Amino acid sequence: MPSVTTPVRKRTLSEVIKRLLLLDLFKGLAVTFKYNARALYEKREGGNPNQAIYTEQYPRERPRVSERFRGAPRLNLDPETGGTLCIACDLCALACPVDCIEVGSIRREVREGDKVNKKKVLTTFIFDTSRCMFCNLCSEACPTDCLELTQGFELAVYHRSGFRWDREMLEKGINYVRYSK
Amino acid sequence: MMEIATTLLAAPKWIIDLVGKDNVFWADYVVVPVIKIVIVLFVVLTVVAYLVYVERKVSAFIQARLGPMRVGPWGLLQPLADGLKLILKEDIVPLKADKAVFLLAPIISVAAALVVLAVVPWGAAWATISSVNIGLLFILAVSSVGVLGLVLAGWSSNSKYSLLGALRSSAQMVSYEVALGLSIIGALMFARTLSMTGIVEAQQADGMWYVLFQPTGFLVYLISALGETNRAPFDLPEAESELVAGYHTEYSGFRWALFMMAEYAAIIITSSVAVTLFLGGWTGLGWLSNLISGWSWTHSIISPENLQVILSIFAFVAKLFAVIYVYMWIRWTWPRYRYDQLMELGWKWMIPAGLANIVLTGIWYVLALPKTSGGLFGLMQNQGGRLVASGWGKIYFIATGFAGTVPIIWGILALINRRSRDFNLHEQRQLQVRLRRERLQKGAEPQPAGD
Repeated sequence: MPSVTTPVRKRTLSEVIKRLLLLDLFKGLAVTFKYNARALYEKREGGNPNQAIYTEQYPRERPRVSERFRGAPRLNLDPETGGTLCIACDLCALACPVDCIEVGSIRREVREGDKVNKKKVLTTFIFDTSRCMFCNLCSEACPTDCLELTQGFELAVYHRSGFRWDREMLEKGINYVRYSK
Repeated sequence: MMEIATTLLAAPKWIIDLVGKDNVFWADYVVVPVIKIVIVLFVVLTVVAYLVYVERKVSAFIQARLGPMRVGPWGLLQPLADGLKLILKEDIVPLKADKAVFLLAPIISVAAALVVLAVVPWGAAWATISSVNIGLLFILAVSSVGVLGLVLAGWSSNSKYSLLGALRSSAQMVSYEVALGLSIIGALMFARTLSMTGIVEAQQADGMWYVLFQPTGFLVYLISALGETNRAPFDLPEAESELVAGYHTEYSGFRWALFMMAEYAAIIITSSVAVTLFLGGWTGLGWLSNLISGWSWTHSIISPENLQVILSIFAFVAKLFAVIYVYMWIRWTWPRYRYDQLMELGWKWMIPAGLANIVLTGIWYVLALPKTSGGLFGLMQNQGGRLVASGWGKIYFIATGFAGTVPIIWGILALINRRSRDFNLHEQRQLQVRLRRERLQKGAEPQPAGD
């Protein structure tokens, strides 16, 4: 049987004094007291890691969502005309790995000034959020910066049909029930 | 002391008018105490409920959380909601439990904790239910009955967790009861009375809180009181990670709430004894009452005597909450002791420290007696039948307490106990290894195959 010798390290004098005066215990007390005092006088801003209290009271106050967070989809509108930016090019639907986008369009004669052009016009846009994995590939593919994944994260609905977002929902956003208190 | 007792018991004039001149005995011994009991019980039980809230808030702040926030503003109605829930919950008795004992145990526990409130001096003069001349002895005797409730609860539940919790709590409480009893004797040497009111008045007469004369006694008292009330870091009887909930595992609903009430009432009682014995009780706001009664317009609202009493209650409650906060602060900072460490702290540190404190305090006291009584330094005077330390005597007692007793006891105990942990674990393991090696060398055991 191999003999096991565990080396017993001699404690230095400062370690002995530290043990004798229970310095480690008092250090712990100082830390907790500091947190308790800061929690009482600091102005609170939920989810701020530099504060004594980290808690954010979610339904009562909006949580801090990261800027690069990818959540609810949105179809942006042209800020000047108010019409959609979408040119119905179908690139987003092609880019989507899970096929959750359906773009419906018709070819129509559109009057632009004096000329009349035949043009593809968007009719329907269906975005199935239950299948979406929020990879942002559709948004990357969009040539007109129309489709975008926003920071909205409240996607829960009462029925499965609610996951199919149509063009109106995508342009205006969905109506959340806002609970006060 | 007799004068105080009689003035304390005397009923105020309006109650005597109410009861009638012939029934003064009833007014003194029944009507007034009953009124006081009702007030104290109501206030203390409310405070107990809110201590749970304060504990949750303190723990939350220490852990970077907010704590209860949803019931009422800042969650202030949380105790009400908790109480309502606990009353409405089903009172489950396990099938194979000893039913009578199971139902009785929480009642014993909470009664032992609440009876003690009778002798706690909440303030000067009338602000105590009864001033018994053995108040401290009464508190120690009755509050140690509380452990019976825990033991009965653990035994009657017919559950291994409950039984283990009860075993631990009985062993722990018996150990720490000894240290608790020893730690108060030093302060009693100065007070020379067991009456709770008398102890406060003795500190008033000495002009000094006994925590300054008795730092060792105060430390030992605080630590033993933590052990006595089963609070962290000594909460082994209900250690969640090991015993689910300890002795009250099988309890639900209001019987469980009774155990909680007993625990928090015990905290109030041990803290109030610490405040009375070491922190000057209800003294400390005399300057404020002098200031306020100096304004003559206040006399129409409140008489100077009653003002003094009410301010003394405030002083007592402020000190009480300071001690309770220290308990909570410690609970949410330090981790739980292992069982052998708990016993080591109790038997190898607290009890010897309590004993040595008695001996050393006795030595300092005898040395400081007046020269006519055989003392060496003559730092005390006889004032109205009491020995009171003079100005230099106070400095002498504070110096001997902090620079004499504390380092001597701490040094000696550290020297004696310096290898005890090594002995317990490391050395014993090494001993077995050495013995086995010797047996192998003699060929008494067959060699292991792969070696």
